[in-house]
Amino acid sequence: MIFTLKDVNKTYPGIVPLHVLKDINLEIERGELVSIMGASGSGKSTLLNILGILDNYDSGEYLLDGVLIKNLGENKAAELRNRMIGFVFQSFNLISYKNALENVALPLFYQGVSRRKRNAMAMEQLERMGLADRAHHLPGELSGGQKQRVAIARALVTNPSIILADEPTGALDSKTSKEVMEVFRTLNADGMTVIIVTHDPGVGAATNRIIRISDGRIEPAPSHV
Amino acid sequence: MFDLLIEIGQTMRNNKLRTALTGIAVAWGIFMLIILLGASRGVRDNFESNVSADDTNVLTVLGGYTSKPHKGYKEGRRITLKTSDMAVIKHDNPRQVSSVAAFASVDTAKISTERDALTNGFKAVYPRVLKGNNLTLKSGRFINERDIQACRRVMIIHEKNARLLFGDDKDAVGKTVRSMGLAWTVVGVYSHPWRSQSYAPYTTLKSITGNDDRAYMLEVVMDGLKTEQDGENAEAKARESIAKNHNNFAPDDRGAVWIINQFTNYLTNKAALGYLDLAMWVIGIFTLLSGIVGVSNIMFVSVRERTHEIGIRRAIGAKPRSILTQVVAESIAITTLFGYIGVVMGMITLEIITSMFEEMKGAIVDLDIAIKVTLALIIAGSLAGLFPAMKATKVKPVEALRDE
Repeated sequence: MIFTLKDVNKTYPGIVPLHVLKDINLEIERGELVSIMGASGSGKSTLLNILGILDNYDSGEYLLDGVLIKNLGENKAAELRNRMIGFVFQSFNLISYKNALENVALPLFYQGVSRRKRNAMAMEQLERMGLADRAHHLPGELSGGQKQRVAIARALVTNPSIILADEPTGALDSKTSKEVMEVFRTLNADGMTVIIVTHDPGVGAATNRIIRISDGRIEPAPSHV
Repeated sequence: MFDLLIEIGQTMRNNKLRTALTGIAVAWGIFMLIILLGASRGVRDNFESNVSADDTNVLTVLGGYTSKPHKGYKEGRRITLKTSDMAVIKHDNPRQVSSVAAFASVDTAKISTERDALTNGFKAVYPRVLKGNNLTLKSGRFINERDIQACRRVMIIHEKNARLLFGDDKDAVGKTVRSMGLAWTVVGVYSHPWRSQSYAPYTTLKSITGNDDRAYMLEVVMDGLKTEQDGENAEAKARESIAKNHNNFAPDDRGAVWIINQFTNYLTNKAALGYLDLAMWVIGIFTLLSGIVGVSNIMFVSVRERTHEIGIRRAIGAKPRSILTQVVAESIAITTLFGYIGVVMGMITLEIITSMFEEMKGAIVDLDIAIKVTLALIIAGSLAGLFPAMKATKVKPVEALRDE
């Protein structure tokens, strides 16, 4: 079990506290290709944040690969993220003044990998994504699909065991969406655990398991495709 | 380290205008600091070269009025110095006093040639005056010990007066002038920016005026003065000696004999110049501070603008400390880069000032100042970056997921 959540609750404090996740129980096995679907405001992004150790939760238990993730220090969390999880975002989140190669190499910079070595590793990932000829282009000079593939290359460069994708096709047309999904399927076929948050039924259908979330609760009906 | 520099270079290129505007504030601060320090250094060097150490070991003694009764004499009597005081002072402190000179001036004497005449009199002096008055000899020589011993009737005149009396200052040496009804030989011609009186040997004047004992002023040259206390002791001893010789005023009567202690004055001035330097640093640092506040401000803006980017970096594994390091390093880089532009501009300006004004000759920036300024820049840069950087570390990685 790579992800185990037991009765996880999350409330955003405020004048009217917002209880976004209610008693979430979830198990995801290593090597699964899972989509988390739900309407906006259903809590799916919050769930992804918690899975990605980007955010804390209030009660319950979350085990990542058997390790309890609770009230970790910023440094420990950063290290785990860097080592175990690759992130792919809806708006790509590439750094605009760095070229494709530098963007891909950035996570390795924070691992303290030498410049020469991390550029070689980044180039390898770009080649894998079929973008070797775009390595020295700035994100602004790339198409949406290319940007997302650069982002995926960045997620893969640290050789993580998990890919967390937040609406990875949200900013892409249907053709490139299909291409990107194909990339995720290929990664999954290579043994990587892929979790995709989406509200696009087409994307959901392309995954092996759909977790539906609404109003902070996981809907009981499991739907295997 | 190299990677960090590349990162900084990229962000700076990415925000050229902002970086430049901030930089100007820092460069200006440093520019002012350099100018101020250079100028104060110039003033001090100038002071120290004008007043060389042996010139300062001098007590200038003038007669005054007694301020208290002594041995039946009333206060308020005028004390006139005597030529014999010289020998007494020397005799009482043979080790400390290296020489004593006396001055008198004959303000009414006319100095004339067939061609023209001077009416501003002359000073009767000892050889040391050449150095003491900072005179530059143009031709011939100054009064020497033989002149003093032999009471020679020789005179040294200013080049302007030489032209007046002889038409040309070059062949004045060896010619004769008339004064006090006697013939004097001109042995030297000097130049000085504002002094113009003529000089003759003190003993010569005394022999002409019938050896009255009165001296207008004494100059006591001391040896081995180190501290302010030494200077004050020397002054007190000289006064005691004079009091002993005159035997009509109290040895501690400061009013009776005025002593201008150039050594303690020198120490005081030197201390004052130290304060000047300090004041310049303070003013400069405060000017720089406004630049630093600017850098700090702009770093805050930068952190705010790059919240999303910082979020991305955090999400892909940047630790808070690497974010902190980056912001602080960026701040130091901006401060140092533009600081050095300020240093260079300041040095160029100082060079120009130096070439324009003779008095500012010492206004240079040496290695010592350069090191201090570098340290100041780095400290200032890290302080400027620290608070924005601390704010940057508070950025949560969740920010990366927030759409722009």
